[in-house]
Amino acid sequence: MTDDIDYEIDAENLPKRVVKRPLGSPSVIVDDVHITYRVFGARKGGTTQTKTSLINRAISVGRPDTGPITEVRAVRGVSFVAQHGESIGIVGTNGSGKSTLLRAIAGLLPPTKGRVFVSGEPALLGVNAALLPRLTGERNITIGGLALGLSLREVREHTPEVAEFAELGDFLYLPMSSYSSGMGSRLRFAISTMQTPDILMIDEALATGDASFRKKSTERIEQIRDHAGTVFFVSHSLGSVRAMCTRVLWIDKGLLVADGDVDEICDAYDAFVKGRTGAAAGANLN
Amino acid sequence: MTDPKPGVAVAPRLTSEAAGTLAQQSGLREMGIRPPLGRYIRGVWDRRSFIWNLSSSRAYVRNQGSYLGQAWTVLRPILDAATMIIIFGFVFHGSAPGIENRAAFIVVGSFSYSFFQGIVMAGIGSIPADLQLIRSHQFPRAVVPLSAVLTETVLFGPIMVAMVVLVVLTGFLPDMGGPVFPHWSWLLLPVAAALLSLFSAGVALFFARLGARTPDIANVVPFFLSLGRFASGATFSIAGLTGHDSWFRPLLLYQPVQVFLELIRSCFGNEPLIPMAPGLWLLAIVYAVGVFVIGFLFFWGAEESYGRD
Repeated sequence: MTDDIDYEIDAENLPKRVVKRPLGSPSVIVDDVHITYRVFGARKGGTTQTKTSLINRAISVGRPDTGPITEVRAVRGVSFVAQHGESIGIVGTNGSGKSTLLRAIAGLLPPTKGRVFVSGEPALLGVNAALLPRLTGERNITIGGLALGLSLREVREHTPEVAEFAELGDFLYLPMSSYSSGMGSRLRFAISTMQTPDILMIDEALATGDASFRKKSTERIEQIRDHAGTVFFVSHSLGSVRAMCTRVLWIDKGLLVADGDVDEICDAYDAFVKGRTGAAAGANLN
Repeated sequence: MTDPKPGVAVAPRLTSEAAGTLAQQSGLREMGIRPPLGRYIRGVWDRRSFIWNLSSSRAYVRNQGSYLGQAWTVLRPILDAATMIIIFGFVFHGSAPGIENRAAFIVVGSFSYSFFQGIVMAGIGSIPADLQLIRSHQFPRAVVPLSAVLTETVLFGPIMVAMVVLVVLTGFLPDMGGPVFPHWSWLLLPVAAALLSLFSAGVALFFARLGARTPDIANVVPFFLSLGRFASGATFSIAGLTGHDSWFRPLLLYQPVQVFLELIRSCFGNEPLIPMAPGLWLLAIVYAVGVFVIGFLFFWGAEESYGRD
C-alpha cells in the first residue's frame, strides 16, 4: 500500500503561471531507461509477456491456472535531459508508467536497463512509507523526518512547525490510527515538506485536506518549488500542469511520445484523451 | 484503439555515449549504482538514529492490539520453554547427562536459540516487508535488515530478564540441583547476548539478500532453523549425548550457535560442567565479528538491486 497523496487541486487555487527561469546546467540525465516488473503467478495471456523457458514451465507446475513469472514492461527506453530551473510535467494515461519513471529518476526503483545521472539528492514529495499508524503523531514526525535523511536534531527543530502546519492540536500525542483521514494526510504532507531538495518530485501531491488547508499546502509547494533546482510533476490535471510547468513529457505505454512546449503538448494530449474509446486502452502493454 | 499521433516531435535523443559525456562534464552522479564500501559504511553510520528509531518504534508497536500487550513478548517464550522443560526435563530424563539443573539448561538454550531464530527470520523477510519504504526514500539499504535485527534485539531485553527470573525459579523445582544464587558473571549476560545478536545480524544480512529476490527462501529456512535447534543442543546436551568417537561431535560442539548457547549458559555460573572459559569468549567474538563482516559484505554486493521487482 502506498501513502501517496492523490487529490485534485481547486481551480481558484491554481498558482499563477510560472515564469520561465533561465536554464542552468543539466541536473538530470536519463539515458535509455527500461523498467520491467516481475509478477509472480499472473494469469496466463492478457496484457503481459510470459517467458517460456524450461525453468519457468517447471515452476508453473505447482499452479496450473496461472502463468509462472510474468514480466510487465512499465518503462521502455526513455531518454531526456533536464536542466536546472526547469519545471517538468509528466502526463500520460493511467498505467502509462509515469510514477514508475518518476521513482526511477529518484533512484528508488533501480532501472532494469539504462542509466540515470543526477546532480543532487532527488526527493519524492508526499510519500511517507515509514510511518506507523499505532504510534503517536509526534513519534511519526521523528521517524518520517529521519527517513527523509534529516538528522535527529533537525527533526526536533522542525517538529513544532510540522505539527502546527498539519493542524493536529492535541492529537499530536495520540496514535495516528485515531486520526481522521484528513488529519492523516495533512500530517503526511507536512512531514514530507520538511526538507527542500535540489531535485523535487511531486506525484500528484498538490493539495490535501479541506479547502483552507489546500490553499495552505499549495503555497507551501510553491515555496519549496522556488528553492528546488528542478521540479518533476506528475499529474492528471492538465490545468495544474499548464500552470506549473515549463516543459512537458508525455509518456504512453512506457514510451516517451512527446517532449517539449507545455501548451502544444497539453493540447495534443487533451485531444488524445478525449478521442480514446475505452479506459482500458492506457493499461494495455501490447 | 487509435495510436497517439501528437503534433509535436520528441526532441532528438542523446546517444548513450553522449549522455555519459554530458553527465561527466556537468558533474552529475549516476544513480542506482553500488557505492564504494567506505562510503556505504559511512552512509549506514549516518543513518544510525533512523535505524534506532525505526527499530524501537516497531518493537513497541509489535504487541499492541492484544489485551496483555507487551507482556506477550515475555509470555510467549516462557510458554515455549515450559513445553520443553516438561518434555526434556522430566519425560526424557537423560537428555543432559551430568547437568544438575536441566530446567535452567533448557530455559537458557531455548530462549537464546529463539532469539537467533527470530533475528534470522526477520532478516529474510525484511526487504520484501519494507519494499514500500525502499521505494519511497533514499538510504543505504542495509538499514532495513539491520533495523529488523535491532527490533528483535530490543525485544530480547525483557525476555532476558524473564530468563534470569526463570532460572532462579528452576532452583526450587525438585531434583534440579538446589537453589540458584546470583553470580558476578550474570553481569556478562548482556555482552554475550550482544555477541549473539551481532552474529545473528550477519546471518540475517546474508539471507536478506537472498530473500529479497527469492521470497521462497522464507519457506525453506524455517526447516533448517528447527534442524539447527537440535544441532545446537538448545534442549539437550550435545557433549553428553553424542558418542566420543563420532565424526560429527566436534562439528556440533564448535558450530557457532552451540558456542553462543554455551557462552550464555556459562554466564549463569551454576553448572560445574559449563565453566566460564576465556577460550569460549574468544571463539564467540571471532564468530560474531567474522560472520557479521561476511554478511554485511554479501548484502552490500547487491545494493543496487534492492527495490527492483
